[in-house]
Amino acid sequence: MRWRIDLHNHSCLSPCGSNLMLPAVLAIEAMDAGIDILALTDHNSSRNLPAFAEACEIAGISGVFGLEVTTMEEVHVLALFEHLHDAMEFGEFIEFLLPDIRNVRELFGEQLIVDLAGEVVGELEKSLYGAADISFENLIEEVLARDGLAIPAHIDRPSNGVLSNLGFLPEVRYSALEAIRVPVMCETLGNSIIQGSDAHVIEHIGRRFCFIESERRDFQGLKDALVNHTVTFRT
Amino acid sequence: MTVQNLGKALEYKTLVMPNPDADIINGYTSDLLSDVMGNAPEGSVLITIQGHKNSIAVASLLGMPAIILCNNRSAPDDMQLAAQKEGIAILSTGDTQFTASYRVAHLLGRV
Repeated sequence: MRWRIDLHNHSCLSPCGSNLMLPAVLAIEAMDAGIDILALTDHNSSRNLPAFAEACEIAGISGVFGLEVTTMEEVHVLALFEHLHDAMEFGEFIEFLLPDIRNVRELFGEQLIVDLAGEVVGELEKSLYGAADISFENLIEEVLARDGLAIPAHIDRPSNGVLSNLGFLPEVRYSALEAIRVPVMCETLGNSIIQGSDAHVIEHIGRRFCFIESERRDFQGLKDALVNHTVTFRT
Repeated sequence: MTVQNLGKALEYKTLVMPNPDADIINGYTSDLLSDVMGNAPEGSVLITIQGHKNSIAVASLLGMPAIILCNNRSAPDDMQLAAQKEGIAILSTGDTQFTASYRVAHLLGRV
């Protein structure tokens, strides 16, 4: 079976994410865009994942629970988990590693924690804009040790990508690499390449995606597809 | 100026100095290694906070004999090992990149 996947999206929790990007809106819009497997990956926090999990359930979409972590080298890495509680625990760990700086919402945007209905249930005070005190390699290792998927984000972007910040791809084990444009014009060390929307506003939901060939429409199916290199792109 | 003399004049902490007589003729300040790869002149000391082993690979590729790590950033073990192997010095300081750049430029007679 072929599944349409989009593993990179933000909600109103990310300071740069639109306040209209409610987890439920993301799930419903993605469902309309034909996405079968969808991840929410806010910057350095997992606090909107519970609402996202509920929304995916209702929308009949396979939810993947993630974060986009900023490493100490300011490289963005997608950390994706099968189970909500693993993602929540990892999110707590990453938030702890962030510098103790308060968010200034007028400058960086609000960091809204919402429920399924989009009601604001809290606002995160610690700034999610900073870099977690963990190196790129250590983060990858930590995510893999927790049975997650570790995917360096937008490796072909001129900022906050592994190539821009570290010059070239360190030779460690990755689950896959995410690129904005395919094919990528760099050494990928034999890793699967994926594309994701990196949506911060509603209009961008589903703007980039890819397909996986897999028996199962779930996290394990996704994992298998990345290992077996059955990712394809729209033609 | 040799790496050793530069380190002494700056009074920065030496983490690795496998080749003290290597000659430094210029400097380059950047934290993005893709930028360093594209623009740093040969024979430069790299002034950065990027304490990662890729910094060593990039310095080696470009013929940069030394790296100054600013803001007390640490050099992980694998970075220090790579530096030893590639003959590249690592100096460490609490100075910012701004201050370190000025001091290096002054010592090299470039300001």
